Amino acid sequence: MSTPFPITDSPLVCWSCHERTIGTHFCASCGKMLQLPEKSDYFAMFEIPRKLWIEVAALEKKFLQLSWKLHPDNYVNAAPEEREISLRRSSELNDAYRTLREPVSRVEYLLAIEGARVEGKSKQQAPPELLEEVFELNESLDELRETRATSGDTTALKQRLESAQKNFQSKLEEVDGELQVTAKEWDSAADAGADETKRKSIMAKLNELLNRRSYIRNLVVNVQKELL
Amino acid sequence: MGRTVGIDLGTTNSLVAYVDAKTGEPKCIPGPSGSTLCPSVVSLDADGSIIVGEPARRRLLTQPERTIYSVKRLMGRGPADVQSELKLFPFRIDPASKSVIRVQLGDKIFTPPEISSFILRELKNWAEAYFGESVDRAVITVPAYFNDAQRQATKDAGRIAGLEVLRLVNEPTAAALAYGLHEKQRGTVAVYDLGGGTFDISVLKLISTSEGDIFQVLSTNGDTHLGGDDIDHLLQAFVHEQILQHDQIDFSPHGELAQELRKELIDVKHRLSETDKVTLRFPLPNGKVFEYEFTRGALEALIRPVVDRTMAPVRQALADAQLSPKQIEEVVLVGGTTRTPLIRRTVQEFFDRKPHTELNPDEVVALGAAVQANIMDRGVQNMLLLDVTPLSLGIETYGGAVAKIIPRNSTIPASAQEMYTTGVDNQTGIDIHVLQGERELAKDCRSLARFNLRIPAAPAGLPRVEVKFLIDANGILQVAAKDLRNGEEHLIEVQPSYGLNDADIERMLEESIEYAEQDFAQRQLIEARTEAEAILTATAKALANPKAASLSEPERVKVERTVAALKEAVKGPDYKLIRKKIDELNHATEHLAEILMNSAVQAALEGKKLAEV
Repeated sequence: MSTPFPITDSPLVCWSCHERTIGTHFCASCGKMLQLPEKSDYFAMFEIPRKLWIEVAALEKKFLQLSWKLHPDNYVNAAPEEREISLRRSSELNDAYRTLREPVSRVEYLLAIEGARVEGKSKQQAPPELLEEVFELNESLDELRETRATSGDTTALKQRLESAQKNFQSKLEEVDGELQVTAKEWDSAADAGADETKRKSIMAKLNELLNRRSYIRNLVVNVQKELL
Repeated sequence: MGRTVGIDLGTTNSLVAYVDAKTGEPKCIPGPSGSTLCPSVVSLDADGSIIVGEPARRRLLTQPERTIYSVKRLMGRGPADVQSELKLFPFRIDPASKSVIRVQLGDKIFTPPEISSFILRELKNWAEAYFGESVDRAVITVPAYFNDAQRQATKDAGRIAGLEVLRLVNEPTAAALAYGLHEKQRGTVAVYDLGGGTFDISVLKLISTSEGDIFQVLSTNGDTHLGGDDIDHLLQAFVHEQILQHDQIDFSPHGELAQELRKELIDVKHRLSETDKVTLRFPLPNGKVFEYEFTRGALEALIRPVVDRTMAPVRQALADAQLSPKQIEEVVLVGGTTRTPLIRRTVQEFFDRKPHTELNPDEVVALGAAVQANIMDRGVQNMLLLDVTPLSLGIETYGGAVAKIIPRNSTIPASAQEMYTTGVDNQTGIDIHVLQGERELAKDCRSLARFNLRIPAAPAGLPRVEVKFLIDANGILQVAAKDLRNGEEHLIEVQPSYGLNDADIERMLEESIEYAEQDFAQRQLIEARTEAEAILTATAKALANPKAASLSEPERVKVERTVAALKEAVKGPDYKLIRKKIDELNHATEHLAEILMNSAVQAALEGKKLAEV
């Protein structure tokens, strides 16, 4: 079995035939499903490089192929140990597919395995350039709740909030655009074999974008809830 | 190893099916009456034996306090969850019920998994009688929207019935399997499944690959307390009100009269699917007869709220699958309640597509379960099912909020890891609360389990324990913890918030075997008595035949004595004695039978019919 992206560089010992083997999913000697080694990652599981542009159709095809082989339905009559491995491997496959399929969770995951994901200190921490608009939005939300409590007319407030929501929605799209551009930067850096400094600076930028995205997204969701 | 079957454990009816090895087609197994439907009704007889199915259903009218139906509504639920149901269902809940509901039947107390296990055991018996072989493994279907506790309760029921549950399969997915096999459909499919007590909608993608066909569920949604029962309740409430107004008779849901009326109304409901007008005539205790003409239009106006309640989950499932109604290529209707014309019209209008109803909606889920049982039993396959978890899994965080760790509609098995450490020196435990649901606050989600993660004493922040939450292919949660400092791993025994523990299940399994033995004796007795009656009738008829006059006096006396002995034995409970007396009578009447046979042959030769002999 050729393994262009071995799940691990160091040979594993197969749990079944006890041979030392380098494989991604199955033992090269006896063909049994391998236990997932420590420090394996989702990219390796799909045998793709740690890059952010992924062809989703190819990912799905690989996912379905591996599902045939790893799914617990295949191991009903197998030994308990192998059944247990199948359960783990197939849950990890599903977790991996779920994570890599969506661009945002893909970026989050990449940063996490590169040790570069630093979440915002708190949800209240607004990006500086948004401070003023967020302040206004929160005021409008408070006003809406008060007006509702006193059964006043909320039409004008609602309109104001709807336009604020649109504003933040478009900011969200901006962030997504920036994420795309930065993701391409990461991929080119990976292709060029860029040095650690370069990699770190791109990851820091991706991290900052993710935090901003999650902040704005929360705002939009909160406004949506109030407007329902 | 015994056989493997597929079982649809339904709210109203349950079925058992298998795949015929020759034709490769799934088939439902009939019970002793010839019907493949086993009413999901259980009754406790005065002598302590358990009666299941059609005979139990008849007892709803005569012994309602010893009989229970729709027990599926109680599976995996706590006493507080079912308060609203109690107004409408004649469930007698033991007031001492704590986390698991206990139901009273006569003078005995049972849990819902035990009652379900009686139904499963009955179906197991059907299948064993059919194959002449033991059946010890099963695939059992559950509503797709069942939560962890409801799934666990179903699996427990299987264990108590002496079945190894190979897999719990979601009902709409099972239906898709049955249809996929039948129609060879490909593309996106929506399965709308409205049964007796539950509603599910699932969106699937059928994919052909070089290895075989994959049934991939994209999303699922539903309501585990919405079904034909709710339509019955609306009808009942309507008629109760009418009778109260006109005749000042108040129906309690517990009474025999209410059960009788319920039966009539279900009949009215069924007939209104075929015709436009049905008149109900119901005799009242005051001697009057309540008469009311139902039209289909009036019924539809009455049940529209139920039908409308199904549409919000349908929209949500499509949104989660990122598909519009137009992008759905096939629509499948499952569940007896989808025979209702209003539902057919509503679904057809929504998808702008004629739904599939070719397969019997009562049988299709069991057929799909049989297909999956066959796949798993043989381990070789050209079909693969990838299902999803219907509800998000979360853990409680500070301030009663929920952090989602596995989102709904994730393909299962699925897992998530969380890292835990301590906040103060020498802290030896961390409380973990696992929940299921879409709401943001823990109090609004379903509590699955609470447990205390034990941690060796150490300075604050030093321990590093990774907890792995895994939802298996049955949709059931497993929790394991790993101490990252020493690599020690252990499975955490999680006591479910609304479930039975292993000791409970073991005890119930033992008791259930006792019941099974009692059942066996009871069954043998009934069969022996039936046979005795048949031979007694035949003997009396034979003795009355003029040709019997040629029987010698001692022979006649012997026959009469044996008849008396058999009649005596039939009065008692000993089926072996009855069998013995049947044999003796058979022996004693040999000559008599011969005489009659000879005269019959003669008669036949003379051109007379046998019946005239």
